[in-house]
Amino acid sequence: METRVSNSLSAAQTHKKAPQWLWPLLWGALLMMSVFAMSAAESLFRWIEPDARQVIYDRAGFVTLLGRHLFVVGIAAVVTIIVGVAAGIAVTRRWGCDFLPLVAQLASLGQTFPPVAVLALAVPVLGFGTLPIIVALMLYGLLPIVRNTLAGLQGVEGDIKTAAHAMGMKPTQILCQVELPLAAPVILAGIRTSVTINIATAALGATVGASNLGDPIISGIVNGNMAYVVQGALTIALLALTIDSLFEVLQRQLRARISSA
Amino acid sequence: MSLMDALPTPRLRWEGWHPNVVLVSLSLIMLAAFWLLDVVSMAPNRIVLGTGHGALEAFGWPGALLATLLLSFIGILACQPTHRHYRALFAAVIVIMALMPVGLMASSYLLIDPEMPQARLGMGAAYWVVLFVLLLCLVELRLRLNLTRIWPTLWLCGVALVWWLCAAFGLETLALVQEFKARDQQFLSAVAQHIKLVGIAVSVSIILGLALAMLMRRYARLQKGAFAVLNFLQTIPSLALFGLLLAPLAWLAANVPFLAQLGVSGIGTTPALIALIGYSLLPIVRNTYTALEQVSFDTLEAAKGMGMRAGQRFWQVRLPLALPVLLEGVRITTVQAIGLTAVAALIGAGGLGTFIFQGLGQAAMDMVLLGALPILMLALVVDAGLGALAEALRPGGTR
Repeated sequence: METRVSNSLSAAQTHKKAPQWLWPLLWGALLMMSVFAMSAAESLFRWIEPDARQVIYDRAGFVTLLGRHLFVVGIAAVVTIIVGVAAGIAVTRRWGCDFLPLVAQLASLGQTFPPVAVLALAVPVLGFGTLPIIVALMLYGLLPIVRNTLAGLQGVEGDIKTAAHAMGMKPTQILCQVELPLAAPVILAGIRTSVTINIATAALGATVGASNLGDPIISGIVNGNMAYVVQGALTIALLALTIDSLFEVLQRQLRARISSA
Repeated sequence: MSLMDALPTPRLRWEGWHPNVVLVSLSLIMLAAFWLLDVVSMAPNRIVLGTGHGALEAFGWPGALLATLLLSFIGILACQPTHRHYRALFAAVIVIMALMPVGLMASSYLLIDPEMPQARLGMGAAYWVVLFVLLLCLVELRLRLNLTRIWPTLWLCGVALVWWLCAAFGLETLALVQEFKARDQQFLSAVAQHIKLVGIAVSVSIILGLALAMLMRRYARLQKGAFAVLNFLQTIPSLALFGLLLAPLAWLAANVPFLAQLGVSGIGTTPALIALIGYSLLPIVRNTYTALEQVSFDTLEAAKGMGMRAGQRFWQVRLPLALPVLLEGVRITTVQAIGLTAVAALIGAGGLGTFIFQGLGQAAMDMVLLGALPILMLALVVDAGLGALAEALRPGGTR
């Protein structure tokens, strides 16, 4: 009876597999279109800003801007994932549990720090450029990951761990083969939140001299050129939607694998 | 059951001597920061980056020794963590925080040449690290002493008062104070504008969110669609949303005179408020909906059995029981809106973000701090206040 239920569940999921890649592909295609073919839409932007001398942002190509944006977000994401998950694991082990209450409180308290304020505070210490934005993204992106790693690891039932222990598994094995796989969906949700927030926050880096997709928006606002603003905003929004829908697919596949296992 | 008994039971970790590792390591971090990093920085004027000064230069021998003693006192007391020691530690942390501006006065006396009216003192990295770690100590102590949020918050308000008094009388050389004195009217109106924007956005989205959540409970089909739209909205970066709203609103203002009379325009308060409300709706609606749905069926059934009518059941049973979770949504929303309003300064909505972006533009870091620190404090105060309110309203008291 049990197997039949799970079979029908996985059958339903494979049936749904075709459309689940639809959104990432769609958003990704739109993103690529906006990055590579922005100048093709010149007449449209001319209609928005009929008086401007120039309607397509050209201080740097959109491909370069996108690359820099992804570079900053990517570095911050890799560091935060490693540090955040490691910290989450450390404070849930027996030797680190003294720090658990403090880290848990800090992770929820850190959500109250507005990203703009964090970025602004990073600049006096680190100067202008790409470095402060990477550091600000790391600090800010760390907290959702730590919080969700804690929630995921604490959500694993004690009985399961006891059973694994009784089967003769060593603590490392319990961690890698039992706890982390079971906590994975929650941890992934934290990574998703962190990366999505960071894509948005990285755009603010343009105000501290980092060149990325926020650049057209800022220079558009400063020069009163609405077309620039729309170009930058559109590309960032599409990037955020692409990455977010990719995570959605990942999460769904992870959940499917856990429920079928 | 027999299997569980056969397993080796985990032994108690600490036998005999068990120090509070967290506080001891925090104390060591503070000592290291105090001696290794710059305590203060001194700049001849506003734009030039200051030169850093270590502990000895800033405080002199007696001051540095006193600070070291105070900081190590925390670590020493934490080696024998009894309830009494925790209380003493709490007091010590508060005292150190209140003494910090006095230290700044001392170093301004030692370092600043009275012949240079433009010279200004900045707090160095060590000051920030120690301040931050002291806050961590407070969080840890609050958990160990099992205090509610309200007491540490009140004590911190007292510390803030001391800082403010010191800044007003005797710390004229501090860069932040000079920056404030140069534009105090502007600063106060920016704070007022910031609070006004957040207040309007949050109250409108509370009303809209409540209505939407009610409608969702009635029409199930609406629920899926509304959540999809709101989730989608949250994914779009704030800067992009502010930017995308500029164009259509500017067009509306140019082509519909009636709306222009109402104050709709591409740049300024209107696009900021629309974006803020759009962002605020999701947390409010989500929390309101789950709060109203999670009230137990048995309780409602009991209310029905007592002869309460539908309206009474909603107002007297469902809503009071849902209130803490609902307030949690308001808390998250308000804190988020405080941060987003700072970004709204970019599209001319005013508020404290103006100082951040102007300061960044002029490379005047003290001005950036003048904008960023109040935003941070505003967020923390609102978070603590609404959190304490939700704790107090929880059915059955605080704990």
